[in-house]
Amino acid sequence: MKHLLLKLEPIIWLLFGAGLSVGTMLLTGFVLVVGLAIPMGLVPSDALDYERAHALASNGFGRLVLLGLIALPLWKGAHHVRSLSVDFNGGDRDGAVGVLVYTAAALCSLIAIVAVVRL
Amino acid sequence: MTRAAHPEAMAPPKKGPTRTAPPRMPGSWWGAPRIRTYLLFGATGVVYFLAGTVVLHLVWALGKGPDAWATVMASLSHPLYLVFHALTLISVLFVGIRAFGTMMPKMQPRGGPLPVLAPGLVRGLIYSAWAALTLVFSLILAGKIGS
Repeated sequence: MKHLLLKLEPIIWLLFGAGLSVGTMLLTGFVLVVGLAIPMGLVPSDALDYERAHALASNGFGRLVLLGLIALPLWKGAHHVRSLSVDFNGGDRDGAVGVLVYTAAALCSLIAIVAVVRL
Repeated sequence: MTRAAHPEAMAPPKKGPTRTAPPRMPGSWWGAPRIRTYLLFGATGVVYFLAGTVVLHLVWALGKGPDAWATVMASLSHPLYLVFHALTLISVLFVGIRAFGTMMPKMQPRGGPLPVLAPGLVRGLIYSAWAALTLVFSLILAGKIGS
């Protein structure tokens, strides 16, 4: 299993790096407005009522941004969780942890593709 | 005049498995600021992973229709969601400052066709891009710009 992970290393690092950079840039504004400002009443909730949210999300660019906003943090998270496991003396279980976290990230990314396509 | 030593002069006669012990986390890691910061940086992975699933949940609800969207948006006011999103914002700022401000200025490729820029300039450029993107994205989401 470690052999497969080593072969996939360039793809995993690409997605991890994109998650670290692009994911961070996208998440900041999203969490600020959707996660905090709207629920706390600092921004009126009709700013993202269904019609507007759907119009923003359902064009090609909106779908791409949403896919990046979902998938890239997942891959950044998966790789860092694996790295954290290795740091805490998890060298022996690294193969199993790697397969587990990357499979979870890959499955959620596939569901994310379905989610943005069906918008 | 002395000759330079052969680089393999001290090598054992036969190649064998490495005799160095595998790296181990010191028991006092919490008291070491550099290790603690490094581990906190890694721990943001858990928050990022969960944040990705929350956005997936929102987009899935948006695809289901107006009722599901209204329900999921209302659920974001729950204190647990607010605490999680505050934690996500702290994590994102921590990752951004560490990655964009500390790591990336040192990660410029040397010896390539592109000039190596001053670290302060790289830091300023990436921070500016981050701030600009966050501002535009926030204004769009808040309904201040865009249809």
